[in-house]
Amino acid sequence: MKRFDVRPPVLTAQIAEDMTEIWSEWRRQKLPLYLFLGLCFNLVLAPAVFAATGGEMSRSQTYWLSALGLVTIALAIYLFFVMFVPEKF
Amino acid sequence: MQTPQDSDSLQSSRSGKRDSRRHTPKANMSGLYQRAIREAFIKLDPRTEVKNPVMFVVWVGTIVTFLVTLDPNLFGTVQADPGQQRLLNGLITFILFFTLVFANFAEAVAEGRGKAQADALRSTRSDTIAHKLLPDGSIQEVSSTELQRGDQVKVVAGDMIPADGEVIKGIASVDESAITGESAPVLKQPGTDIMSSVTGGTRILSDELILKVASDPGQGFIDRMIALVEGAERVKTPNEIALTVLLTVLTLVFLIVVATVSPLANYVQAPTTIAILISLLVALIPTTIGGLLSAIGIAGMDRVAQFNVIATSGRAVEACGDISTLVLDKTGTITLGNRLADEFIPVDGHTVEEVAQIALAASVFDETPEGKSIVILAERNSANINFNTDDASGVEFTARTRMSGTDLPNGKEVRKGAVDAVKGFVRSRGGTIPVQLDAAYERVSRLGGTPLAVCQDGEIYGVIYLKDIVKAGLRERFDQLRRMGVKTIMLTGDNRITASVIAEEAGVDDFIAEATPEDKIDVIRREQAEGKLVAMTGDGTNDAPALAQANVGVAMNSGTQAAKEAANMVDLDSDPTKLIDLVTIGKQLLITRGALTTFSIANDIAKYFAIIPTIFAAAGIGSLNIMGLKSPQSAIISALIYNALIIPALIPLALKGVQFRPLTADQLLRRNILIYGVGGVIAPFIAIKIIDVLLPFS
Amino acid sequence: MFQGWIQIALTLLIVVAITPFLGGYMARVYLGERTLLDPVLNPVERILFKLSGVQTRENMTGWQYIKAVLYSNLVMALLLTFILFSQGWLPFNPTALSEPTWDTVLHTVISFITNTDQQHYSGETTYGYFAQFAGLGYMLFVSAATGLAVGIAFIRGLTGRPLGNFYVDLTQSITRILLPIGIIGTILFIAGGVPETLTGPAIVPTLENPAISQAIARGPVAHFEILKQIGENGGGFFAVNSAHPFENPSPFTNLIQTVGMVMIPSSFIYTYGVIANNRKQAWLVYGMVLTISIVFIIFNGISEYNGNPAVNALLGGQVPNLEGKEVRFGWAQSALFSVITTGTMTGAVNSFHDSFMPTGGFVMMSNMFLQIIWGGQGTGTAYLFAYLILAVFVTGLMVGRTPEFLGRKIEKREVVLAGFLILLVHPIAILIPGAIAMSLPSAPDGVTAQGFYNGITNPSFHGLTQVLYEYASAAANNGSGFGGLLTSQPAPSALWWNLSASFSLLAGRYVPIVALLLLADSMSRKQPVPMTSGTLRTDTGLFTGITAGVILIMGALTFFPVLALGPIAEAFQIAKGIG
Repeated sequence: MKRFDVRPPVLTAQIAEDMTEIWSEWRRQKLPLYLFLGLCFNLVLAPAVFAATGGEMSRSQTYWLSALGLVTIALAIYLFFVMFVPEKF
Repeated sequence: MQTPQDSDSLQSSRSGKRDSRRHTPKANMSGLYQRAIREAFIKLDPRTEVKNPVMFVVWVGTIVTFLVTLDPNLFGTVQADPGQQRLLNGLITFILFFTLVFANFAEAVAEGRGKAQADALRSTRSDTIAHKLLPDGSIQEVSSTELQRGDQVKVVAGDMIPADGEVIKGIASVDESAITGESAPVLKQPGTDIMSSVTGGTRILSDELILKVASDPGQGFIDRMIALVEGAERVKTPNEIALTVLLTVLTLVFLIVVATVSPLANYVQAPTTIAILISLLVALIPTTIGGLLSAIGIAGMDRVAQFNVIATSGRAVEACGDISTLVLDKTGTITLGNRLADEFIPVDGHTVEEVAQIALAASVFDETPEGKSIVILAERNSANINFNTDDASGVEFTARTRMSGTDLPNGKEVRKGAVDAVKGFVRSRGGTIPVQLDAAYERVSRLGGTPLAVCQDGEIYGVIYLKDIVKAGLRERFDQLRRMGVKTIMLTGDNRITASVIAEEAGVDDFIAEATPEDKIDVIRREQAEGKLVAMTGDGTNDAPALAQANVGVAMNSGTQAAKEAANMVDLDSDPTKLIDLVTIGKQLLITRGALTTFSIANDIAKYFAIIPTIFAAAGIGSLNIMGLKSPQSAIISALIYNALIIPALIPLALKGVQFRPLTADQLLRRNILIYGVGGVIAPFIAIKIIDVLLPFS
Repeated sequence: MFQGWIQIALTLLIVVAITPFLGGYMARVYLGERTLLDPVLNPVERILFKLSGVQTRENMTGWQYIKAVLYSNLVMALLLTFILFSQGWLPFNPTALSEPTWDTVLHTVISFITNTDQQHYSGETTYGYFAQFAGLGYMLFVSAATGLAVGIAFIRGLTGRPLGNFYVDLTQSITRILLPIGIIGTILFIAGGVPETLTGPAIVPTLENPAISQAIARGPVAHFEILKQIGENGGGFFAVNSAHPFENPSPFTNLIQTVGMVMIPSSFIYTYGVIANNRKQAWLVYGMVLTISIVFIIFNGISEYNGNPAVNALLGGQVPNLEGKEVRFGWAQSALFSVITTGTMTGAVNSFHDSFMPTGGFVMMSNMFLQIIWGGQGTGTAYLFAYLILAVFVTGLMVGRTPEFLGRKIEKREVVLAGFLILLVHPIAILIPGAIAMSLPSAPDGVTAQGFYNGITNPSFHGLTQVLYEYASAAANNGSGFGGLLTSQPAPSALWWNLSASFSLLAGRYVPIVALLLLADSMSRKQPVPMTSGTLRTDTGLFTGITAGVILIMGALTFFPVLALGPIAEAFQIAKGIG
């Protein structure tokens, strides 16, 4: 037991370091974060779509369909953004 | 498609007479298209595509159609045979992909041409060894790229001038042909305002100079131009931004339209597939102008560079089109620098022929343009040389005597020169001053000319009227400008009478006589206060404030560093009349953008009529298929193929610019709306029908 | 048939003849010049301004004007909400009507404050007299006056003047334009047989069986009616609106109603011409709008005159389509009325729009999609000129200059505002709720089933037209109903319709108002560029034609799929003889 005493703190420090790095990387690169959040949200949305279609579609189809809906909304937000600050593009 | 040779011939055909000096930045166009094709694929990177909202929507659409090609039932089970569906989706993906590639290609070609232009410019500024003068007087060899603003360098005959700068010591002749194409060397010396500025990349031919470097490395005019034509530092111009907004709004509108049409179609039992909806979306959004917009802008900069003008921003080029007032210096811009003999005015009973005879005799050895023009005028007045020129000797003009002339073999002295000087000469020879002389002198002055008296020994024969000669063809150009709504104002140091004569002759709208440099800035401010955009040219240091005040200030390359700093364009050929060409280029740039936008939007009618009736044929609106397209598949593929192919088809137009004619706004509008508006409505109907007929499926 | 067309032509002639007088008068009012009514109204207004503390000479900036519009409208809306909720104990409620459901009140308030007057209720059985004349009647004035104020502020900004003061504009729109015309109109209506009373419904024995008595609803209708028309409100006193014999008893009152609707918006274009000092442009644009309107009227008239082929086949001869129409108006006056009411955003109806031939649906929806075939009170003209600005931007580049309108450069900000308010608001406010409504489950038996259904009573194309018409009517602040949707309480679908239509109403009213005022503000701040021969002239026939093209492509093509799947598809269906 004693022998392992030294290691775990190092390991946690390593993990913490990695975590902060991943975190800061995420803070810097917003896109992957948004993609991830979008996919998470899609997990919530897809069953709702599945329920609404009343079993006409398979689960995977509703998952893709709601993802497409999210992509469409994301595109619309992106276009709104371009519309108001076109200088950035 | 346009080949490099084409573009060269295009350049030369535009204006033959200027061809001689526009050879300079010899752009090397070989391999341009191979590189552009490679670039077109590299630009598919989403980080690049996201900068173009219209094409980014196509990019996302392509990804989605690719997914439904892999699995047609991905977003819901489709009724049709999956194999057939997959084929259709695959085709759609393929065409969308090439729509993107074509749009990228357009931009890449424009950038490639800009780069070639930039390389040509850059070749003039190869890395050279500069002899930097240290404060202690010693000389250090450094690379020209390391020179900072304010450094002093020494150049000797044969050296390349390492950077833009100002001559502070020495006198030397410099070969500026590398940038201006003018082969005659130019004399440079300090303190002479115009002749004291040198440009990096030119070569010193004789003697030596000490220069003060005027710009930091990479900040010289050529560096800035290189950055601009390469497209790397391209900032969208105000007009481009406004257009981007409109295109984005349209894209968003059609995104909403297409996204909401699916539930509606389902309600009326005419369901359709995701791939078809994406095709509809791509067909409706303005991909044509979206794909060509940046190419048009880059090509506009490129055209300016081909004209041997360095613009420091795209904004300045665009502003050229909006110019409503041109402020022009008389000398060098409106008139030739030299005055030419126009008339002989005899005094005291002498005839014109006699005056001509004496004037000819006095001018045979005069090599100046004025002297030559007197010879020509005299010969036209049937004068001839009645002595042996080998035995005669010429008397040079000096600032002290203010006369020149000839000592004839028979011992007589003929002279011509400023009236006062000739009077003195005649008196010294014991002659009398004719009473009519002062009247003739006054008449010529009032006409805006320079009077030269001619005499033989003690006898004054008459006066030569030296006239300011307005450059050929300027009147027509000013007429064109007036038709385009551009007002011209001439500035001159001459008196009112002289100025009004020249103004009348050149056909300028307004003139300011006895103008001081302050007047220049005043007139610009006055015009700007009325809301007008003003362009002017200038070269002297005292022009700098006015150049900075003007909306478009074009400095002559031969001008001082201060003038160049204040201006937003520098003309490498130092030709002030080019301002007129710049107005045309600016207008052409805007017209090209407007024309392609109109065309792109007008195309939507045909695309709607091609796609909507066929994909919703289940709703019984097949009769709207007025083009008689074969099937929904064929209709969609035809519309998409048209949509993709129209981009490369219009690349030459985008690069070359819509042909500009100096017409009034109404005439231009009528003409362009007919070609691009009405044409934009009709052309796709025909093209889509043809593609539909050619397509091999039912 | 001939008689019908003559009726239509005469009505339009009267409208055109009124234009320069009314337009010129409105210009004088808004420019603060002397008018005939000054001796009477100046003291009245002085008292009003003193009481309200309005500084009459204070010009507002764009944002100040916007805030004034929004705050005042909010206060008015709260007042109306209070009146409607408390009608149970308010006076003049002879039929003892109790308070309506909250969503009905919400929708009614929003609908009336936005000058839309879309009604998801029956007037005579929902709101008492006090609620009608004090609550809704009040809105008929202020919502119309708000529109006029915004319209005039826009014109002022466009022509480089300061925007003016909202409270002054609001007051003067009422005192000097709506009230004088309203008083004349009320007298004409009373003379024409429209009731104006506070007594409850008349109980009369029926003709067939004197033993059975019948309650006939009446009320203070005449003044309500004229304001409903000239203010482009359209909210009827009775459920069937101008088809009701007490609202619109005769062809004479119908003429006044039709002219009344289009009088102010058409004259407003002329007002622009006076203020911009460019009557030529005003008449050109006027001509363009009139032409489009006439084309629509002819389309609609012909298809109504020709009747339904399916019905004609049964009858064995051609008769006009009179289903859902009042015989006293016939096909011609109904066709004309329907085009004018949808074009001017009035929304009053003298016939059942649902029963028109599909061409009628097509024309009416196009009217509302475009919003400029005269357009709303004040805002219609503003939209029209926003379209002109867009046309200038698209085609103006083709003359080789930065596009300019009235000497003012059209730059990014103007394109954002014009593009946003003209091109974007409508798709968002119409297509998105429309698509959601059509995705909601339909009742299995079409109409009556309990539970949450979308309340669309027709399948297929006609159902689609009903839904899109409803939202177009809301977003364009028109207010007419196509009918056929279960939008009134106590239908279970009423909640959905009340809420979603409220969204469209608000989006279709206030987003454009904010954008219009900002656009006017930024235009008024620009330094005008003097006209040269290189400037694009906007007061030419050529440019007016181009504007028509831009309106067609940008405005109408957005809705082409909807029109194709709705009225167009239905027209083909009927032509094939299936319907």
